[in-house]
Amino acid sequence: MQARLPATNRAGFFEIRMESIGGLGANLAGKMLAEAGVLKLGWNGTFSAAYGSEKKGTPVRASIRFADANHPIRGIYAVDEPHVVAVFHEALLQSQDCTAGLQPGGVLLVNTAKAPTEIVRRTGWRAGKVACVDATAIAVRERTRVNVAMLGALCRVMDGMPPEAVMAVIRETLGRKDAALVERNLRTFRAGYDEVRVEDMAPAAAEESGAATPATADRTTPVLGYRNQPQGGCIPEPGNSVWRDLSASRQGVLPILRLESCIHCAACDQVCPDLCFVWTAREGRNGRVFQFLAGIDYQYCKGCLKCVAACPTDALQAGREEDGYAEAHRTKHPFAFA
Amino acid sequence: MSIGQRVEALDTWSSHPLFEQRTDLCSGNEMAARAAAQINYHLMGYFPITPSTEIAEYLDEMKAHGEHDIVLVPADGEHSAAGICFGAAAAGGRVLNATSAQGFLYMLEQLPVQSGTRLPMVLNLVTRSVSGPLNIHGDHSDLYYALNTGWPILLARTPQAVYDMNLMALRVAEHPDVRLPVIVAYDGFFTSHSKQRVQYFANREAVQWFVGPVRKAEFDLFDRDHPVTVGPYMNEPDYIHNKYQQSLAMYRAGEVFAEVAAAYARISGRYYGALDTYRLEDADIALVILNSAAETSKDAVDALRAQGIRAGVLSFNILRPFPVRAVQEALAHVQVVLVAERADAYGAHGANLTHEVRSALQAVQAQCTVLSRVYGLGGKEFHPADAEALFQICLQAWRGEAVPAFDYYGVIAGDPAVRPPRGLKPLAKEEVSGFVQVTRDEKTGELIVKVPPLRALTAKAKRLAPGHGACPGCGIFPAIETFLKGIEGDVVVLYQTGCAMVTTTGYPYTSHRVTYIHNLFQNGAATLSGVVEMFWERKRRGEIQIGEDPTFIMITGDGGMDIGMGSALGAAMRNHKLIILEYDNEGYMNTGSQLSYSTPIGHMTATSNVGAAQQGKAFHHKDTPQIMAAANIPYVFTGVEAYPQDLIRKAAKAQWYATHEGMAYGKVLTACPLNWKTPDDAGNEVVGLAVKCCFFPLYEVEHGITRITYDPEARGERVPARAWLERMGKSKHLLRPENEALLQAFEAEVERRWRRLKAKHEHELL
Repeated sequence: MQARLPATNRAGFFEIRMESIGGLGANLAGKMLAEAGVLKLGWNGTFSAAYGSEKKGTPVRASIRFADANHPIRGIYAVDEPHVVAVFHEALLQSQDCTAGLQPGGVLLVNTAKAPTEIVRRTGWRAGKVACVDATAIAVRERTRVNVAMLGALCRVMDGMPPEAVMAVIRETLGRKDAALVERNLRTFRAGYDEVRVEDMAPAAAEESGAATPATADRTTPVLGYRNQPQGGCIPEPGNSVWRDLSASRQGVLPILRLESCIHCAACDQVCPDLCFVWTAREGRNGRVFQFLAGIDYQYCKGCLKCVAACPTDALQAGREEDGYAEAHRTKHPFAFA
Repeated sequence: MSIGQRVEALDTWSSHPLFEQRTDLCSGNEMAARAAAQINYHLMGYFPITPSTEIAEYLDEMKAHGEHDIVLVPADGEHSAAGICFGAAAAGGRVLNATSAQGFLYMLEQLPVQSGTRLPMVLNLVTRSVSGPLNIHGDHSDLYYALNTGWPILLARTPQAVYDMNLMALRVAEHPDVRLPVIVAYDGFFTSHSKQRVQYFANREAVQWFVGPVRKAEFDLFDRDHPVTVGPYMNEPDYIHNKYQQSLAMYRAGEVFAEVAAAYARISGRYYGALDTYRLEDADIALVILNSAAETSKDAVDALRAQGIRAGVLSFNILRPFPVRAVQEALAHVQVVLVAERADAYGAHGANLTHEVRSALQAVQAQCTVLSRVYGLGGKEFHPADAEALFQICLQAWRGEAVPAFDYYGVIAGDPAVRPPRGLKPLAKEEVSGFVQVTRDEKTGELIVKVPPLRALTAKAKRLAPGHGACPGCGIFPAIETFLKGIEGDVVVLYQTGCAMVTTTGYPYTSHRVTYIHNLFQNGAATLSGVVEMFWERKRRGEIQIGEDPTFIMITGDGGMDIGMGSALGAAMRNHKLIILEYDNEGYMNTGSQLSYSTPIGHMTATSNVGAAQQGKAFHHKDTPQIMAAANIPYVFTGVEAYPQDLIRKAAKAQWYATHEGMAYGKVLTACPLNWKTPDDAGNEVVGLAVKCCFFPLYEVEHGITRITYDPEARGERVPARAWLERMGKSKHLLRPENEALLQAFEAEVERRWRRLKAKHEHELL
């Protein structure tokens, strides 16, 4: 198979960045895409990923760099000025700067049921093509994972990446396990390829891209340096992790609480790994003070649904997460800051 | 062979069909594993640590599919792993190990013993920063501890070099003039985990031909006609001669490496000189920089050359012995050299390489300025722009501007007015006290515990704040918080390295509302012993004014109780007033699910794979509560989140004992949905089934007397083991007909331990 690189930057690279969370298979997708480029199309290529530790639900950023067969790719460092950004999990658009450094005329691909114009509204990025694919729905339909549906869509928007190359790698990678799995994944790939909706937001901007100064991703500068970092790496601020927002760990479902059928047994609270349940003390009917469940602090909820499994009534139910539901129904923990 | 000589000039055999090569896209760890499998080492002794762990994982996976015969021995810590390797090397076969960072430092004590005893092997050091604070990412601070171990050190800048160096390392190690263990070092994550285009021999026979049969050592442990004493007691005047032999062998290793590299070039087409130089011939300024960052720097050189600036890069293929003449030849004409180091030798005005380069150049009276910069610590990325910035420093010096001879590159001062994100108010006494009561019956001596319902306990403040980064459905936190519901008043916690530690303290955030301390993996029990004893001593001296004494609790995973078993038993022997709470998720989950000694037989982990040649873990799970009970501490218990009242009651008792008598230990089985391969919401039920099938009985041992606190048999609630095993992806293969014998072995072991426990429950003298 032969194909030309869709585009190259000053260094001679075509670069892709994947924004995902642990557990969605972005690592495997990146590896398969890089293999397709190197082993099937004869390009030079590298794949690397940055993640904290081996945790599900935490942000993962993967970098793929292609070059012509004889052009060296020597350094291993994150892709800062990608031609394509693939966002595997829509919630990351809020929590991460996904479009940082994305080149004018490039492609922003998002796993979403929304239309490209809506993604433009959310991200403010309109310097190239915006592509949307409902990879989650495809994966649910085919009982596969979003990564392969995203690969299909990526292949389409990469303009020059022959889908056969990626499909051959999928066959080789998953074929070792079982044939039915391969078939489902190939269908997933094709669906991603076919169902992606692409809109060119700035044809004019794309033409001017030569003149435009490419934005560079902000390599996050820490606010704590050698003058103000407390000695010995100590953190003298107890419980300050309450500032963190874990909602991007959810994968489309969350517990929905109907207080009217709650018996305040605290089974949910006891099994919750993320300390999401908020209680208040109130006088009961007999005049004694009791604990009452007030609600869920969705900022910390990762959507594991253990609380739903533990609930002896139907007060807690699993629900598909609608846009804005968590924000609107969140009961904030009444934290007292020092 | 001189520097820069090109491969094309060599008389090459690489076109011979035996040496056919395949192109692939692979990471450094994959290439290390592939080389090892093709060599078909006799044995690998190892202990998992990020980022080197994958080597053992890949080898285990290959072994499960019958692709090599290497005996893989999972040690109980790196010190033991090094001991296993030492013994195996002494016993005459080919031996491999892989480690990183603290793991390397933990085995450091063994390394000079092995080089002094002249036992060859190969150790892949996948370089990573040394704690503390804990950081799992790449730098060279572990490598710098290797410099004086007496092991030759080969460096690999790319996955390709990882493969090539692994093949060459063995030949250098086994050469009769050398007979030394050899380190192959490459960058954690940058090289170990990134995939790059590589070539490797398609036929294992090519590798076997290159490394040859195992060279016979001077002595053979199993030659019964010639018994030999290995490792004598040797004083003056003999010792210095052993060391001189070692010194000669080390220098000889440099020459042997050159010979081996030439031989390897002939079959592979890839030649490795002592140094890797890039556009250095006419350079005015140069960077000396190790491993992957050298590759990045080459891009910066090209950019500077395009502007007419004559820049170059020097990197090392062999660091020990230090190729002094090659360095002199390569750098003598350069005006300004900047040695960039991913490690510091604190207080030495530049790390080791700076001084070695400087002294090499001084010996030939080179008129060259040598600058030194520490960069990229703890995995801080190194971009071409960073290399350019370092070259700019060279240019400044070249122009005669004053620049510091030694400094750090890439640090910021920070605004003193800015603090870490604001934390919460300390817990008030009444938020954590007055909920659970423990009294002692004066007549019977029995502890009577009163626990309110869970609902009332929601008023008790949690010692953890939300916002930790554990996986969805993690069983650790319900276990810890349920346990802490039984603990009254102030607590001081120590977390051993593991999931709970990493996810609750990602800088600059902490989820701990109480005072927390972490030292390292295996040393928590010792560290907390020190904290406890200092508390009592400072209190005795009147230095601490405190109303109520805190309770000291160590939280550890089952991994921490493997590598830290000695430390825990030491604390138990000394009977300090503290509690050890072990959350057992049946594996080293924080490092990516490797087997622990608590993993049940047949269960699948990343180092106990399932395939035609292997069905999961090969040996039974460790019975840690019984080990701790045998240490005769006042109180030992087990618990799970699925039986909360039981666990809370035991926590209250543990606190009473840790306040009045001494050490308490408890083990809580906690679900790990990611690595047990269960749905995120199933943890509570799955650990409940582990109890009901009698795999994980709920009991306590109080002053040596065993009491089962929930007997599923007596209640008619017992389920067969398969009811538990079939719920987890890591164990359901045990229910397949071909694994019947394994399943029966597991059931028999569970039954045997349960019957013994019942007997103990029934007879207080057992």
